[in-house]
Amino acid sequence: MSKQLSIRPKEVRAPSKITFQDIPVNVYQKTVREEKGNYTKQEFLNIYRDMCYIREFETMLNLIKTKSEYNGVPYNHPGPAHLGIGQEAAYVGAAYLLTLDDYTFGSHRSHGEILAKGLRSIEILEADKLTAIMNDFLGGKTYGVVKDGKLSAKENGINFLLYGMMCETFARENGFNKGLGGSMHAFFTPFGIYPNNAIVGGSGSIAPGAALYKLSNKKPGVVVCNIGDGAMACGPVWEGLMMSTMDQVRTLWGEEGGGVPLIYNINDNFYGMGGQTAGETMGMGMIARIAAGVSTTQLHAERVDGYNPLAVIDAYRRKLPVAKEDGPVFLDVVTYRISGHSPSDSSSYRTKEEIDEWQEADSILSFGQQMIEAKVATQKELDGIWDKVRADMTRNLKLAIDDSISPHIPLMSGDPNYIGNLMFSNGHVRSFDETRKPDVLLPYEECPRIQQIAKKERFGFDASGKPVPKNRVYQLRDGIAEPIINKFYEDPTLISFGEDVRDWGGAFAVYRGMTEAIPYHRLFNTPISEAGIVGAAVGYAMCGGRAVAELMYMDFLGRSGDEVFNQLSKWQAMSAGMLKMPVVLRMSVGSKYGAQHSQDWSALAAHIPGLKIVFPATPYDAKGLMQSALNGTDPVLFLESQRIYDVAEQFHQGGVPQEEYEITIGEPDVKIVGSDVTILSIGATLYRVLPAVTELKEKYGLSAEVIDARSIVPFDYTKVIESVRKTGRIVITGDACERNSVMRQMASVITELAFDYLDAPPVVVGAKNWITPAHEMETMFFPQPAWILDAINERILPLKGHQSTANFTQVEQLRENKLGV
Amino acid sequence: MASPVVLPRQGQSVESCIITSWNKQEGDAVQVGDVLFTYETDKATFEELAKEAGTLLKIFFEADDDVPVLTTVAVIGQPGEDVSAFTPEGAVPAAPEAPQAEEAAAAPVQAAMEPTAAPAQPAQGVSPRARATAERLGVNLAAAVPTGPNGRVIERDVFATREAQPAAQAAPAPAPVAVAEAAPVAQEYTDVKLTNVRRVIAKTMLQSLQQMAQLTHHTSFDATQLNAVRAQLKAAPETLGLPRITVNDLILFAVSRVLKNYPDVNAHFMDDHIRQFKHVNLGVAVDTPRGLLVPTVYAADTKPLATIAQEAKAVITAAQAGSINPDLLTGGTITITNLGTLGIESFTPIINPPQVSILGVGAMVERVRTVNGQLTAYPSIALSLTYDHRAVDGAPASRFLKDLVTALENLTALLTM
Repeated sequence: MSKQLSIRPKEVRAPSKITFQDIPVNVYQKTVREEKGNYTKQEFLNIYRDMCYIREFETMLNLIKTKSEYNGVPYNHPGPAHLGIGQEAAYVGAAYLLTLDDYTFGSHRSHGEILAKGLRSIEILEADKLTAIMNDFLGGKTYGVVKDGKLSAKENGINFLLYGMMCETFARENGFNKGLGGSMHAFFTPFGIYPNNAIVGGSGSIAPGAALYKLSNKKPGVVVCNIGDGAMACGPVWEGLMMSTMDQVRTLWGEEGGGVPLIYNINDNFYGMGGQTAGETMGMGMIARIAAGVSTTQLHAERVDGYNPLAVIDAYRRKLPVAKEDGPVFLDVVTYRISGHSPSDSSSYRTKEEIDEWQEADSILSFGQQMIEAKVATQKELDGIWDKVRADMTRNLKLAIDDSISPHIPLMSGDPNYIGNLMFSNGHVRSFDETRKPDVLLPYEECPRIQQIAKKERFGFDASGKPVPKNRVYQLRDGIAEPIINKFYEDPTLISFGEDVRDWGGAFAVYRGMTEAIPYHRLFNTPISEAGIVGAAVGYAMCGGRAVAELMYMDFLGRSGDEVFNQLSKWQAMSAGMLKMPVVLRMSVGSKYGAQHSQDWSALAAHIPGLKIVFPATPYDAKGLMQSALNGTDPVLFLESQRIYDVAEQFHQGGVPQEEYEITIGEPDVKIVGSDVTILSIGATLYRVLPAVTELKEKYGLSAEVIDARSIVPFDYTKVIESVRKTGRIVITGDACERNSVMRQMASVITELAFDYLDAPPVVVGAKNWITPAHEMETMFFPQPAWILDAINERILPLKGHQSTANFTQVEQLRENKLGV
Repeated sequence: MASPVVLPRQGQSVESCIITSWNKQEGDAVQVGDVLFTYETDKATFEELAKEAGTLLKIFFEADDDVPVLTTVAVIGQPGEDVSAFTPEGAVPAAPEAPQAEEAAAAPVQAAMEPTAAPAQPAQGVSPRARATAERLGVNLAAAVPTGPNGRVIERDVFATREAQPAAQAAPAPAPVAVAEAAPVAQEYTDVKLTNVRRVIAKTMLQSLQQMAQLTHHTSFDATQLNAVRAQLKAAPETLGLPRITVNDLILFAVSRVLKNYPDVNAHFMDDHIRQFKHVNLGVAVDTPRGLLVPTVYAADTKPLATIAQEAKAVITAAQAGSINPDLLTGGTITITNLGTLGIESFTPIINPPQVSILGVGAMVERVRTVNGQLTAYPSIALSLTYDHRAVDGAPASRFLKDLVTALENLTALLTM
């Protein structure tokens, strides 16, 4: 929504028609002879050479996989190898005009893209810069293996690239990601090569975030999103398309906006694994057709002949400026994978004749013939290139598989926590660009929200102990907003986006009063594309920025499943710590709105390694945890309960401090000290624990200790165990469905850590394993104060005269589990 | 006709709004669509437009007031009209609500739960904490009345058991405490000063256990002949002038006769040497109001049964009366301690140093054995010999015990020797 743009009935109801412009198909048909004047001999030879390196690299892997030997060098590689034999011209053509400022993202089949971009980077880098990059990487360890004083910087660079890539493929510590990424996730950012992705279409939602980084931070270069034709059927790719074609960058961002500098480079090899995208599994005929539907610019789409490297170079020569001015650009690059999807592929889905035809049209073969015919090179010269390529491949392979030269990470040899130590970066970075002043529209003091907050009482009770009216008190939503605003004024790279975050102020008014102060290119509404939102945050962070993204409801987490579970969570460790992921992903936990808008799915996220998860229940904790998340370098899922956005601080004496402070993520908080029973509460349930505490005290003389978990991952059990040692009894409660919940996890860990101190097993009081009913009946679904007493009475400590309202008997527990409810 | 301007309700959850500013003042002319005032909830800001034309006659709330929704905040009409009828109740902010007063379903659906009141059910288990607490407090878990779920003994039951223990005999099933104690209740007790005798006993017993290598052998003997002899002696004519002979006297007699053949056992361990005695000086353990005393029957091996019986009775009486000559409490070369009269069947006595052995005598019980394929009952008395392995090895100690059993089972013969 935007007040600047009006939807007028007169206009939208008027008759007219949608027209399309033609999408050019394979317009470029030139040969080496025709381009002789535009390329030097060396440039032609380099194109040929780069294609040969890629072909040979893939051939080497294919032989290692299928024959356990390449050129007399035996090796067994149990890991994956998704080869791109046949696609070399597309790879080399796409990389030819890219600079180090241009970032490429890829797929599971991206060895060729990496090598092409790497070889081009080596070609265009000055010798001292190239050498510096190689010396800097892993302290020169990788370079040290291949470095040869007799060779030029470029020749050393090629060996460095081949060796680093092989080490990564074979899980060696000298690899580009210390072998933690592997064949399908390799990348090398110093050459502008960004992560490749084993999830089909994974880069489709991430690359737009990288392009937004360039746009929002005015960085040079474009982003190239390499995905396959098969990926065009993936939802997150469409969401990425929607994210990257938002009209607002042209209509509302003003001088800060313009085109999104992004090129969708579809390596269209006609097969998604074995499924034929044209003619069988999809219906758009030519992939380029899609572009016409997603933007009025038609994404300047073209189909180009990816079997002719010159055609692809021509397309990039024309489209790179367009991408910068009026991106995104969409290129449907025709190519063909001669090799199988993987070495286990028997090509049962295609005919031998089809493969033969493509082999006859082989891009390397025909490009070589064209060079000879055009008298650019002799067969002998070409043979010489092949000899050198094979020799380089063999020499570097020997180095890469030698355990003494290229060992694995020391996970199995002395450092069993090696990967554990990489799961979080645990950094502390106040600003990701201290050289720039943040773009804002108003001075801090004039930010409406800051002014509004300034008028509020920061503690929930006045001097006489009376509650301060809601409208006059600092609420939990203020505790979330304040650190975000402060960070907007501190870190110029911080951007925040989600659905309705701007004029609306977020569905729950957390962002209210920021629109006036923060410009569009730092705070913007997104399409309803949860995968696109999270993917963009991931891409943005990979490039070196900080993002706060919002999913309106946690129930929409499923919509962003892959982006949260496979991307946001994994890239820090898969990059061996080379990438940071400073993303705060806010999501509200609802109530009142039924089955698909009321779910606490913390357990789903907590199951995934690599995510920090917090769930504050008070304004003081919300502010401190948000500040920690915003000063940190890790992905943090920030859960916010809609039930308590308006609660005032009632625990922290003195109220919520105005100055900045951090609460360590993972540290639970004892909200009420007691001695007879511990109640560990997650999230908003805290406010239903309080009446239970009163009743335990007044009716049964029991003193309850209340611990607010505050964080879910990580979680320091020390205080909880201390409490259980004292009380011997514990109830764990939260609003998530009880089965396989975080509460169950906590109960299990507490049992193991405090078994000898327990007077009864830890008892979980969670929501029913049902759909959430309507608000009027929610008391039958979510934990209630009485349930806590019932659970204590039935499972921990019979309370004399207690009348149960809920059924916590073992018979019922058995029944519910038997029925799966 | 004047009409009220009502603060709208913006959303179900909004109960009040803050009026941020008045764009019109009292007396201003207003047209339909004019912005009268702006107001905000905790989530958003709104403008209230005039729905009537006229003059703004009255404003009931100032900017920055927190006003309940659906309250009349102003009146529009013609100049001179009476607005008093529109005055809202108390132009003061409504009382704030406690955050999130969520109601709990109250209707009880289950019968009242009573803690397990009587130990009718056997305990289904003991919580780890209760077990640890019982161990720490020295409470016998078997006596605990379970009040936990499913008949589990929980920590409060251990506390309750400890409370009940002094009066346990009178009240075997104490009512469970209604609630768990926040802290252990202060216990009632009396500090009793140690008497000298208690001091000596404490020191001697501890020393005995700490410094000796003591261990106990258990055996028993068939008391058929002992009973027969005792019956015979009891039936003996008064003219013979025999004193009353007890079971204990007969055992003292037997020990005095057998032990003299075992100088290793009839000895004191003196750290660097062993003092073997020529005669058997029998220490007799006596329960007295002052505590345990061990008076001595000297050179019992030289005295006939009647004399032993007489002397034993004399020293025991004196010890119990507290009139014993302290000299008689020394010099024993073995101690005989008989808890059989208290029904104790077997026990491990503690050596009275520097003696090297002590013989415990248990209660007479019926035992069964096979005689010619038939189960036959016979009276039996257990003997427990604790000895100091520093001075005596296991085999000689066992041989002494075996000889003693033989002697007691052939008492008639022994008496003739």
